[in-house]
Amino acid sequence: MEGMIVATQVPKNLQNANYYNGNSWRYFSKSKIVLLNPNRVNKPVKVLTNNFYAACTPQISFDGKSMLFTAQKSKNDLWQIWEMNLENLKAHQITTSSKNCIDPTYLPENRFVFSEIDSDSISKKGIPLFTGNLDGTNISQITYNPTINFASTVLKDGRILTISSEIYPKEKEAMFMVLRPDGTKEELFYKGAKGSVIKSRGFETTKGKVVFIESSSNKKTGDIMSIKYNRPLHSSVNLTQEIKGDFYTVSQLKGDTLLVSYRESKSNAYALYEFNSKTKKLGKLIYKNDTLNLLDAILIKKHNRPRNLPSEVNLKSKTGLIVCQNINFLDSPDKISKAVKIEILGMDASLGKVTVEKDGSFYLKVPANTPFQIQTIDNKEQVVNGPSSWLYLRPSERRGCIGCHENREQVPENRQPLSVRRAPILLPEQIKEVNKKRMH
Amino acid sequence: MKKTDIIKQTKLTAMIIVVFIIGTLSYNLSAQNKKPNQNKMPIYGHWKNFTSNDGLPSNKTYCVRIDGKRVLVGTNKGLAVYENGKWKTYTIKDGLAHNGVLAIDVSKLTGDVWLGTMGGLTRWSAGKFENFTQLNSGMPNNLIYAVICDAKDVWVATGGGAGKYDTYTKQWEIFTQQNAPMHEPWTYGVCEGDGKIFIAAWGGGVVEYTKKTKKFRDYTDPDGKMEIDLFPDDGLVHDITTGTSWANGYLWVATYFGLSRYDGVHWKGYFDHDSGLTSNFINYVRAVGSIAYLCTDKGLSTTDGKNWVNYTTNNSSKNGKATIIVGTKKTELAMIPSISHNFVLGVDVSNHTIWLATSRGVSRGELLK
Amino acid sequence: MKATKLLVIIGTLLVLGLIIYFPGRKLAREHVNYETAVQNHPLSCISCHYYTQRTGFISKLINEDYLSPFNLTVSKDGRRLFVIAQDANELLVVDADKKNVLHKIKVGIHPHSVILSENGKIAYVSNQWSDNVSVIDLASSKVVDSLKTGNGPAGLALSADGNFLYAVNAFGSNLSVINLKTKEEINRFSTGNNPTGIALSKVSKELYVTSRRQNPVAYGEPLVSDFTVVNDSTQKLKKYISMNNAYLMENVAFTPSGDLALTALTRPKNLVPAIQVERGWMMNDGIGIIEQKPNGKVVQLLIDEPNSYYSSLFDVVISPNGKKAFLSSSGVDYISVVNLDSIRNIIANTSPQMLKRLANNLGTSSRFVTKRIKTGAVPKGLALSPNGKLLYVAEMLDDKIGVINTETLEKIYTIDLGGPKRITIARKGRRLFNNAAHTFQNQYACYTCHPDNHEDGLEYNFASMGRNIVNVISLREIADTPPYKWSGKNQSVYKQDGMRFSKFLTRTESFNYEDLDALVAYIKTGIKLPPNLMYNKDGKLTESQLRGKEIFNRSVDNLGKVIPKKSRCVTCHPSPYYTNLKLEDVGTLSKTDDSILFDTPNLNNIYASAPYLHDGRAKTLEEIWTVYGGDDNHGRVNDLSKIELNDLVNYLKSLRGSNYEKSSLKTQHASF
Repeated sequence: MEGMIVATQVPKNLQNANYYNGNSWRYFSKSKIVLLNPNRVNKPVKVLTNNFYAACTPQISFDGKSMLFTAQKSKNDLWQIWEMNLENLKAHQITTSSKNCIDPTYLPENRFVFSEIDSDSISKKGIPLFTGNLDGTNISQITYNPTINFASTVLKDGRILTISSEIYPKEKEAMFMVLRPDGTKEELFYKGAKGSVIKSRGFETTKGKVVFIESSSNKKTGDIMSIKYNRPLHSSVNLTQEIKGDFYTVSQLKGDTLLVSYRESKSNAYALYEFNSKTKKLGKLIYKNDTLNLLDAILIKKHNRPRNLPSEVNLKSKTGLIVCQNINFLDSPDKISKAVKIEILGMDASLGKVTVEKDGSFYLKVPANTPFQIQTIDNKEQVVNGPSSWLYLRPSERRGCIGCHENREQVPENRQPLSVRRAPILLPEQIKEVNKKRMH
Repeated sequence: MKKTDIIKQTKLTAMIIVVFIIGTLSYNLSAQNKKPNQNKMPIYGHWKNFTSNDGLPSNKTYCVRIDGKRVLVGTNKGLAVYENGKWKTYTIKDGLAHNGVLAIDVSKLTGDVWLGTMGGLTRWSAGKFENFTQLNSGMPNNLIYAVICDAKDVWVATGGGAGKYDTYTKQWEIFTQQNAPMHEPWTYGVCEGDGKIFIAAWGGGVVEYTKKTKKFRDYTDPDGKMEIDLFPDDGLVHDITTGTSWANGYLWVATYFGLSRYDGVHWKGYFDHDSGLTSNFINYVRAVGSIAYLCTDKGLSTTDGKNWVNYTTNNSSKNGKATIIVGTKKTELAMIPSISHNFVLGVDVSNHTIWLATSRGVSRGELLK
Repeated sequence: MKATKLLVIIGTLLVLGLIIYFPGRKLAREHVNYETAVQNHPLSCISCHYYTQRTGFISKLINEDYLSPFNLTVSKDGRRLFVIAQDANELLVVDADKKNVLHKIKVGIHPHSVILSENGKIAYVSNQWSDNVSVIDLASSKVVDSLKTGNGPAGLALSADGNFLYAVNAFGSNLSVINLKTKEEINRFSTGNNPTGIALSKVSKELYVTSRRQNPVAYGEPLVSDFTVVNDSTQKLKKYISMNNAYLMENVAFTPSGDLALTALTRPKNLVPAIQVERGWMMNDGIGIIEQKPNGKVVQLLIDEPNSYYSSLFDVVISPNGKKAFLSSSGVDYISVVNLDSIRNIIANTSPQMLKRLANNLGTSSRFVTKRIKTGAVPKGLALSPNGKLLYVAEMLDDKIGVINTETLEKIYTIDLGGPKRITIARKGRRLFNNAAHTFQNQYACYTCHPDNHEDGLEYNFASMGRNIVNVISLREIADTPPYKWSGKNQSVYKQDGMRFSKFLTRTESFNYEDLDALVAYIKTGIKLPPNLMYNKDGKLTESQLRGKEIFNRSVDNLGKVIPKKSRCVTCHPSPYYTNLKLEDVGTLSKTDDSILFDTPNLNNIYASAPYLHDGRAKTLEEIWTVYGGDDNHGRVNDLSKIELNDLVNYLKSLRGSNYEKSSLKTQHASF
């Protein structure tokens, strides 16, 4: 199978993306996963998921021998995660959840990550990410903020890259967030220009780039964006600015050649093409059928396993720790912030206020797996900045921030925050830590 | 014009005339000194005094060292540096071990300034301060009365013995009564000369250390602890020594009871009653060439061992004098202004300039021609 | 009958074999589990009993003598390269055109740098472990003289008039000035801490000397390392330039126009709790730029990027036109190409406050780093051909010289110096030790905190925020001194570098067992201890050291009282490693420490490991007792006079490698 392509094939008229219902985003009725030969143009495709009512979003294992995908076995079934042996084409179900499970991606050590949709609580809990063993065991939630997380992929450094948008109290623009597979150290990876929408899963190429589809505020069709892994926040390049039409998904075929789903206009279906990221030109057509879209195409190939990151999560612990160097550290040295306190806001109530140290630092112990926001307050009890986006800490996680609104490419100054010279402040005050064993 | 003004003006005119005559005399004297083989005694005048009003951190000054174009003064409130007509002060805030700076020397090799303070030894090297204390290093004691640079070594005389710091190996060697002929560890002065180190050991006379053999010997007062010198020139005048200085083959030793000079064979004693020495109470001695400069409680004495020039002030006014004693002939030159204060603690000279550290600021004199 | 006998014998052997095999295997399993602290390590005896042999036949069998090119220079005509082969103690003369080694000239021990005389006829090689400089006549390829220096000579420079040689004494932290006519050292200046690099500005006639370790300060105070500036004309110290929050400044270079001095540096985050690696929370790499004009700015810019770090910067060279600088990152095997006009532009057009910010900004490198060029393993010294068209890179752990075209900025070929072709297990371990790929996003290598396989002189605050500050421990002589860590929690190097190491320190995938085997093999066999030439050159102790030795070994104090065994120095610090390998309480536990005992450290070459004690609170050996030993908890000392304490300290400073202390212990023959 090595060298072949798998893709999702769906009828031409696509449903609109909707996170709030079970048929969210790109989970289409009657979708099929098909197999193609990239070197044989427009040759009939082989359907790999004939036994399913619907199947989509294929992902290839690191050894190139298996495929994870999302499927409905029968009509009205919940979407679940399946894995197919690409040698004998036998599939087995991994998740057996009472909720829709979508967007699986392989993790090292026979594990995987996916999004689980609970339509009833989506408006307050978002769509969390889960990880588990490929045999379906040890499935557990890793994100805990009211955020919709979907279309995850795993970076070579071992972290999960996910499209993420806050949903509470109101929906915000999606961005790429990155986090460790244990859910810790979640941080922003990429945020598009105002009004832009990330429209596809990110794909990290062997050339140090992450490619994905994004539409801008004034052009609703999808363009291929490329960002550098090394500097994702400030390196985006629109590879298809000069190309009319609409791109839907992108992955790497080989070297500078990408594999894209593209249509010239709305009247066409998405077809598979090669795309040269260097010359920024569409290349060879691989498959085109005016009645069928071909999406999520990906090459079957053995590829390097990402790093297997160690976990600092200790499930026996009920809390996490967060330290901030200086809440008044802003993105520019010319700006002045005179906050003296922070307030930790929970989903339903304030967890409390804390006066920061003279150097602007704070050191808190807060309940784990619980979303919170931080806002800074001046000596007149007025809010200076915030509330921040939703944060959460995993059990025993230790997080560090430099400031509240600093340049995200800034590293901490080599200075011990005054706040860590004493024990962390517990918020809310009544929480009790059960695990007193020190970490190191 | 008021009468008092006229009197004042007359006085001023008279003074100018006197100064002129003195100036002429001293010029003649100076001219005579230029003759070959003459023991010329330099005479300094045109005194300029600097006090806290001029930018010194304090009038209590302890020591002074001329370092090229700048002058370093140790005070009880830090190190004062005079450069380009301005004073700048360095204190513990800048990195000094202690604000009481008692001794200064400058390494000829490296240019590093070594400062003996009441709280440790400070190396001031190209702007950087580094402190050696009895806690962080092998230095004997934090109370440092004297410091000298001897090639790569730095010697200190401290309240806990003498110490030698090897700047290459960064190791200290300590000399106290435990391993050297001293009566107690209190040392007041140290100097180098003729391959030897001479330590002024309080109550122990002078301890001589030969660098090559690493052997000690001591020189003490043959009269023991008696405060009078029973037999003249039989040795050191007193065991309580306050400073040593070696130049031109002579070791000069200051005590609170007179001055001694040693030529390697013979000792000679000088007292206020039998020589030109202005006071037996000598705080500090510095020998440069053939001249010894003696800081006393009654002004500065300078001598070549035979002739004397003493500088004193009338402490209640700015006036003072230089007393020139050549053989038995005594001449006095009025000095207006004079040195700042008679209690002199430190002195340094360069080609044409002399600087004194006194109890009322520092004084700078120029060599009169 | 015979067959029956045979059967009986075979049967007996089989039974015996089974009796031995099963319990034996169980015992072996327990042993391996204990040593590795994991349950699933393959039962491989060779991991610990073969690869780590330091002497004898097996050691010779498994190891090789590598060259390890460290620094190099190019002849004026560009035809010859002169390469320091550090592990071979040789200067290699290489034909740059034919790409072969012409001569191998034996020099002193552990050579560091090479420079050529103005006429190109003489090469000077600093021998860091011999405390001298070899003078080599290049016409005859012979060492014709040896010039005595201070301790640990590293970087070399000639005075502008060619009459004086400056040698940077890395261990002595000073600069020797040698008169080349009299061949004598005429002066020695104090420098920053642990200096190595030196460069002379042809314009200002000033020498800049780098330093690698910070100035001693208490934990929590700002970290500062100094540049030393010496006036070449007057041969006087001019000033020290502070580099704040930076250390490991290995080398320095001036632009040809003399407008800038550039140094490679590391910006550690040792005062920040080490709770994450993300967002540059542990180590950053950068360049220090010193404007060469009155009130010129001293600027630092990171060459790292937000998700990618260029660890272990070593050398910096500048193109003849002053437009490009090349920096070697020996932790990631890259050369970074820097556009100097962009640097000039940033400095000129950025406010001082913003420049200070940029020293901690990972995005700025995109404004001046124009290319990253991959090299062979562990690129160290760099040299440009005289016309500036070729950049030669000493690929230390490949035994090769990489050659880069400075116009196309591509590596065009390598010159094989002829080292062993086989990569031994320990050599692999050394590569792993130097390579930052085993930390998250390549942020630091083992080497970063353990430069020269030693320690970086810093204290770190690992995972427990604000608590348990620890002083980095040297890796020299640790093979036989378990347990490890100050807490002594790790019973083996294998465990020390295993799973928890990745969880709390490297924060990326842990070493696989093959790599761990290699790393442990290197750490346990390949780390050599420099000789103690400053304090114990030949084993003959000074009088003071001998007196100190008596104090160290004494059992009766100055008052005639018997000193309890636990209060005698020698009880916990017995030869040859001067540790009893046990945990002790020496009264140094602080309020911010967990209540633990501390591992008794080994004391070989302890003079070179300041600061002291588990949290580095003692800046000098003296302070261990004058400031922190008041209760006689750390040995009986309160009866000692200052002279005696000095004697004790002098003796401690005389302690050197264990091989000198015990004849049965021999140093590893092979180099790695």
